[in-house]
Amino acid sequence: MYELTDVRKDYMTGSRTVQALSGVDLQIPDGEWIAVRGRTGHGKSTLLNLLGALDRPTAGRLLLDGRDIGSMGNAELTRLRATAIGFVFQTFNLVPTLSAADNVEAALVPLRIRQRERRRRVIAALDSVGLADRARHLPSELSGGQQQRVAIARALVKEPKVLLADEPTGNLDEETRDEIIGLMEKLWRERGLTLVLVSHDSAVVRRAQRVGVMSRGRISFRT
Amino acid sequence: MFFFTYLARELRRRMRQAIFIALGLAVGVGLVITVTAASRGVQNAQAGVLKGLYGVGTDITVTKPPPAFNPAAPPGGGGGTRISVGPGGAQVCNNGKCTHGAQTIDNLGASSGALAASTVTDIARLGGVTAAAGGLTLTDRQMTIPANIGSPGGGTLPQPVSFTVQGTDIATAAKLGPLSDATLAKGRRFAASDANSDVAMVDDNYATANNLKVGKTISIDKTKFTIVGLVAQPQGSTPPDVYIPLARAQALGTLGGKSLKGDVNTIYVTAASASQIPAVQREIAHMIPSATITTPSTLASQITGSLSSTAKLANDLGKWLSIMVLIAAFAVAVILTMAAVSRRVREFGTLKALGWRGGRIVAQVMGESLAMGLLGAALGVGLGFAGAAIINAIAPPMSATVTQATGEHIFTPSGESNPTVSHTLSVPMIATVSTAAIVGAVLLALAGGVIAGTFGSWRISQLRPADALSKVG
Repeated sequence: MYELTDVRKDYMTGSRTVQALSGVDLQIPDGEWIAVRGRTGHGKSTLLNLLGALDRPTAGRLLLDGRDIGSMGNAELTRLRATAIGFVFQTFNLVPTLSAADNVEAALVPLRIRQRERRRRVIAALDSVGLADRARHLPSELSGGQQQRVAIARALVKEPKVLLADEPTGNLDEETRDEIIGLMEKLWRERGLTLVLVSHDSAVVRRAQRVGVMSRGRISFRT
Repeated sequence: MFFFTYLARELRRRMRQAIFIALGLAVGVGLVITVTAASRGVQNAQAGVLKGLYGVGTDITVTKPPPAFNPAAPPGGGGGTRISVGPGGAQVCNNGKCTHGAQTIDNLGASSGALAASTVTDIARLGGVTAAAGGLTLTDRQMTIPANIGSPGGGTLPQPVSFTVQGTDIATAAKLGPLSDATLAKGRRFAASDANSDVAMVDDNYATANNLKVGKTISIDKTKFTIVGLVAQPQGSTPPDVYIPLARAQALGTLGGKSLKGDVNTIYVTAASASQIPAVQREIAHMIPSATITTPSTLASQITGSLSSTAKLANDLGKWLSIMVLIAAFAVAVILTMAAVSRRVREFGTLKALGWRGGRIVAQVMGESLAMGLLGAALGVGLGFAGAAIINAIAPPMSATVTQATGEHIFTPSGESNPTVSHTLSVPMIATVSTAAIVGAVLLALAGGVIAGTFGSWRISQLRPADALSKVG
């Protein structure tokens, strides 16, 4: 469970301080699917970075299962990302030289799992997104939708508690978008994930349990 | 396993760049190996010169300058032979005894200073010395002076006929000294029983030129020596013309009119190892302050000719060229690695988001750089061998000229001169690639990889995962 209390995040741009988050209060219970929308530059990605332990808040309290992400050291944040948090990006972010299977396996490298177990989990993860037969293909040999499926398999292969998705359908056509969102919804239900999804697309957002709107560094919810 | 899969795929993706970096390192490494091989070839050639002059197994030779000549001494009294030519004919003074008129002079003289034979034993006892042997390097000069010289129409003083005579310690001749490198062409070698006999071994070339054969005699200081063997020295050396037992050379030879009994004038020394030569040199210099100690390095500084030029070329131009190419190769490797890391910011940011530690990513980049370094090393070793082979194929034999003072003092109405004698040797230069050079070059290439990887890693360490993703997202 995430608990955010008066979370602020400032960035320095040259000599100017930009306030990306200006006091976010938010609770996300385990297993909830929350969608976040808002205009560009209003703090959506910053919020996702903080939830994903990619960054620390400048002020305020950000707890994940009672542990304060803001006071964690780099090694602890790295460990948290390796074990508990899965990411899905708009641009897929697959390593272009690695096959689909190797890309999925990359998420297991920090966990020091034995090779045989790794292989088993990789095949299972690819199977769960319907790409077991594309394991040896390079990203350049896959369609956009297939690449995003590989990215989802990579995010889920380590069996994380949280899945964070930043515009996961932003680079896909409508048909593929629906496929991917359908897949994410299915996995969310099956695995009991906490899913935080940032998107501009109302067709995607409306499938979430709760929709937050980021504006000027603050989040608000419609009741 | 994943490490190697990722590494191999990444190198394959950037094959052109990887090959470019590896080739840059290879050229640097290849040049280093080639220059090192050439330097080694020059060193071997220089050692060959020393061997040619002093025989196999000799690391150090010890000689002494001749005593200072005193021109103010009475005729012939200051040592040596003085020939004065005047209207009354020639006057030959030897150790104060002067004779007039037609005569034949036959002297066996030394041109360098004498060292007590006991010095050989003293040097042999020094630390770092494996063996030492003494010898007498002498010159037999013969001149026939006609009766009417000096009178109008009587002609000028004829040129003396001379040949070199080597007094050889028979006990050590096979291992040390000028005879050690010779092969027997005809007859026999010296036997222990020859130590006090009037027997000689003659250089095969000298024998052919002067119609000398085994069983014939040769006159040395008016004494007939029976030739027992003919020997051939390696091509390119300047061997003595005649070898006689050391005891006989000591009995007949003179230096400045004084007998050389109980003396030697060259001591041949073998050091335990090349690294000990400087220490042995210092010890001998301490023992005999006035000695001239010749080592391969001091000899190298006395050598002129193409060998000397090649040594300078290898040491100066070759060394600096290698260093410049290596620096350029390192710089190119660093720049390309940094550029590659910059292009992969999103990739590394993603890996950090997946929970990869910074050190793991650095290791990956370092591994790629090291692999390119290894490839560069392998190619460089190949280039180095090729470079050495090209040198061996096209380099002509080199000439080495060693100039040494004869110790003679010639007075003419225009003044005194101290003639020198030059030995010009033809020595092949064989560029040899040593294991140490290969190991050093491989380490250099790996160092290039490590340096490039370090710069790339530094760039990665500056990346915060959120920044890495936002810069491209």
